[in-house]
Amino acid sequence: MNWTAKIRASAPATFSVSPSSKAAKPGPVAAVAPAANHRVSNSLKEFLWLISDVPHARVLDLGPVWQSTVSFFVDKGYRISTEDLLRTWKEYLNAEEERMRTAPIGEDGEKLSPSMLADKFLEAALQYPEHSLHGILLWDLLDYFDPGVTPRLMERVCHMLHPGGVALALFHSRPAERFQRYRIIDSQTVELVAAPTLAVHAHVFQNREILELFGKFRSSKTFVGRDQVREALFVR
Amino acid sequence: MWNKTTQGKPSSAVPQPAAAATVTPVTAPAAPVPPAVSAPTAPATERSVAPVATGTSRINAGLKIQGEISGSSDLYIDGEMQGKIRLANAQVEIGPNGRIQADIEARGIVIEGSVQGNLKAGESVHLGPASRVQGSVLTPRIGIDDGARLRGKVEMTRADSPPSASLPQSHSPAGSSASTAAPEILRPVAASAKDE
Repeated sequence: MNWTAKIRASAPATFSVSPSSKAAKPGPVAAVAPAANHRVSNSLKEFLWLISDVPHARVLDLGPVWQSTVSFFVDKGYRISTEDLLRTWKEYLNAEEERMRTAPIGEDGEKLSPSMLADKFLEAALQYPEHSLHGILLWDLLDYFDPGVTPRLMERVCHMLHPGGVALALFHSRPAERFQRYRIIDSQTVELVAAPTLAVHAHVFQNREILELFGKFRSSKTFVGRDQVREALFVR
Repeated sequence: MWNKTTQGKPSSAVPQPAAAATVTPVTAPAAPVPPAVSAPTAPATERSVAPVATGTSRINAGLKIQGEISGSSDLYIDGEMQGKIRLANAQVEIGPNGRIQADIEARGIVIEGSVQGNLKAGESVHLGPASRVQGSVLTPRIGIDDGARLRGKVEMTRADSPPSASLPQSHSPAGSSASTAAPEILRPVAASAKDE
């Protein structure tokens, strides 16, 4: 997809702690707790804009399932799939650890390298056909994966995305102070939902590393927020 | 562009005659009051499935059943079940101890436990806060509590779609074409989990 073909004036990403500035909306948005963190996300706005040309676009949210996110996409006529990838990964690691712990000595109890772990994990996770998705929401989960795993993961993401499809990812510029999940409130607002720590922040990506990671993608666009979180869009 | 309407929502329901309510009840009708189910926190899709009422067939915790269940009685399962559930004109509730490996087709579906299979509802699907669903959801309305876990696709049908349209075969994920929208089920991955 050509960025220049769809020109949009975009303001830098902003971060808002106080929700009071936002008018309460009916439906799912009204369910947001008053103290919730909202983040104005230009990358989300751009993401939606890029997939808006595709009728009934298929979107995969790799975070937890939220009512508001599902409703948001369903109301737009999109098809939404969800897979809490980080949780699934953690469960997989736990299962793998348990397998190693209980395996008799000398019988399949070898510790796997990160890339082998990733390959084995991806035999079961993210099983979507090639080019079957028009948008993938990665949020900040790449920050929480072992650096040895992320290249494999991105290969799969690239494989699943339709040419012209878009991936949205967030990258922290310093280790995240707390673990949080993301849910969509409206077309340019996400709520940062504090959650019990599922994983520790594993890696702070440099811009160069990010570009390498998404090397197979055709183009990229990054928004940097005041909180120094980088919101990146990658078009396949 | 930003105010795209919802025209042309995908719907895979194929009109078919209503399922014959032929098969016998699973268990004798029981009177006990079902366990309380937490109210949904998301007001967007209120839980429209009424709590399981007296006269509902029950499979309690500790029971296992294999095979196909069909008929017209509401069903509450808190045990384990493998096979298929087709209660097109009734409500199905999976209790917190319920462990289901089956496609479920019903008028209304409430999940508080664990389901591996596709869910197809004529009216609504509600996923409780401790629910775990691995499979696709096909319904006109859906309610998802915070904490629910869904691995699969959500697809909305029109409310007037006949609930008796047959469920698609489970297969590997996202294989559907753009317009027919066959729900899919994902392969299982891991076992134990720490809840958030």
